[in-house]
Amino acid sequence: MPKYEMVFIVQPELEEEPLNALVEKMSKTISDLKGQVTQVDSWGRRRLAYPIRNHREGLYYLVEMDMPAAAVRSLEKSIKLMEDVMRYLVVRKDEQEA
Amino acid sequence: MANDTGTEQQAPRPRRYGPGEGGGGRRYGGPPPRRVCAFCKDKNLRIDYKRADMLQRYITDRGKIQARRGTGLCARHQRSLSVAIKRARHLALLPYTAAHLRRG
Repeated sequence: MPKYEMVFIVQPELEEEPLNALVEKMSKTISDLKGQVTQVDSWGRRRLAYPIRNHREGLYYLVEMDMPAAAVRSLEKSIKLMEDVMRYLVVRKDEQEA
Repeated sequence: MANDTGTEQQAPRPRRYGPGEGGGGRRYGGPPPRRVCAFCKDKNLRIDYKRADMLQRYITDRGKIQARRGTGLCARHQRSLSVAIKRARHLALLPYTAAHLRRG
């Protein structure tokens, strides 16, 4: 299974509890797609270089995972349905070498 | 004043840009030093879209990606740099335009 990494930005007004639920939901979505989350890293609250949805800050998360390549589209589809996620980026990891 | 380039002991390497005055020969020392791409020189350096502080060095004050003549990178690394900057922009780690800089 190829390695992927994903960064997503959550809107900054989300309270602690639904935030944890969201991260939980994200991991569950990945494992439902037969993926394996290897690491979740929170960068915390960061200032955005430009406003997104009228927010100037965002909560950044970095997820590293192994996932079948065919699952990427379905993962992106379900992220699009999560309204509190303002931005995401899924990148294949081994492409960064060389 | 010599108005011919042949007066110097060493035939100057043709300059691609710089002052194109007719005579007087070159004024600014020898040929420009050959630069080696920073990422080729240090193999441990990785171009990573997550490291906005590092990518910042390669954008202009208007937020544009610097040309290779400015960055001094080789073609391969310039290519991966530009991809990394575009990814970082998508994640709002870097600005798309200078307008973002002022308000951001």
